[in-house]
Amino acid sequence: MVGGGFIQQILRRKLHSQSLATPVRSWLSSTKANVDAGSSGVRAFALLGAGVTGLLSFSTVASADEAEHGLACPDYPWPHDGILSSYDHASIRRGHQVYQQVCASCHSMSLISYRDLVGVAYTEEEAKAMAAEIEVVDGPNDEGEMFTRPGKLSDRLPQPYANESAARFANGGAYPPDLSLITKARHNGQNYVFALLTGYRDPPAGISIREGLHYNPYFPGGAIAMPKMLNDEAVEYEDGVPATEAQMGKDVVSFLSWAAEPEMEERKLMGFKWIFLLSLALLQAAYYRRLKWSVLKSRKLVLDVVN
Amino acid sequence: MAEEEVVDPKKYLEESCKPKCVKPLLEYQACVKRIQGDDSGHKHCTGQYFDYWSCIDKCVSSFDFPFSVHFVIFLYVMILR
Repeated sequence: MVGGGFIQQILRRKLHSQSLATPVRSWLSSTKANVDAGSSGVRAFALLGAGVTGLLSFSTVASADEAEHGLACPDYPWPHDGILSSYDHASIRRGHQVYQQVCASCHSMSLISYRDLVGVAYTEEEAKAMAAEIEVVDGPNDEGEMFTRPGKLSDRLPQPYANESAARFANGGAYPPDLSLITKARHNGQNYVFALLTGYRDPPAGISIREGLHYNPYFPGGAIAMPKMLNDEAVEYEDGVPATEAQMGKDVVSFLSWAAEPEMEERKLMGFKWIFLLSLALLQAAYYRRLKWSVLKSRKLVLDVVN
Repeated sequence: MAEEEVVDPKKYLEESCKPKCVKPLLEYQACVKRIQGDDSGHKHCTGQYFDYWSCIDKCVSSFDFPFSVHFVIFLYVMILR
């Protein structure tokens, strides 16, 4: 910041000398040539001024940028990261449990149905039993009335609020976003969500967050409406894995990654297979092209001298 | 297991990464001291805070073992209990 102020001083002095130079030049001479020189000087000065304005605004904005973009999250070594790596399905199952018990009270996942979980995290019977626990409003019956029935596999995961306004009203004006695609909807989504969930810390000296918001360095701006939700032992896992904050964070992000990209495993298999086959095809095509062109590429042209 | 006390592996790794990030920590503490008397409300140490935590984060994420997180807890519990 001190460096920025120093640079500003130098530039201001430069600007000042430039603005003095051009009127003096045009005053001293009144010929056409000198007027042209003066106008090109004005143009140069204008360009310099534009550049300086840009530089000055850049230096003043840079100091606000840090908290504005949030602390950059590190890259964690996810088990499903490799070119042929699949999801940890046990982790997806635990992550769904975390979502259900911790997150579902505020965050919807309206693009996921119970049937999507079958074969991924739960068996068909388990998923059916889970779906049956919720009440769903269904279309008009023979008497024209809407009725409620227990959920089926084809139903979507339940929404905590009827609409966005209700969600905002219940959360101090902030809207808890739908999580169906959240790891694709945020830059470096998987790492960002994990860092955010496990990154609640005391704010730096000099920063105070207003009542109702919480400090999170990874959140752009630093003040997030969601309080810290993952605490050790908040959930008791079915499979007995100790539910530490980091474990729950890892599991819920695995679940959210699956929810956003359920096709990932098939995509990787397909990608590997076709990139391999197309590389072979490329070699074959290259050989064939060179074979056919060899006729032309190896021809000799003789320039005969006329006597 | 005699005790059910679970240790959060991320916090454990953050603690063990502190010695690697002493320099940004000292910078942050120096900043805190500098702005202590300030009442204008405009001075803050976000820059130094970010430098320190990005150092810790880098160390933690490179520290992560390729195998399950339970192993870290197991090691910690076994070594120190």
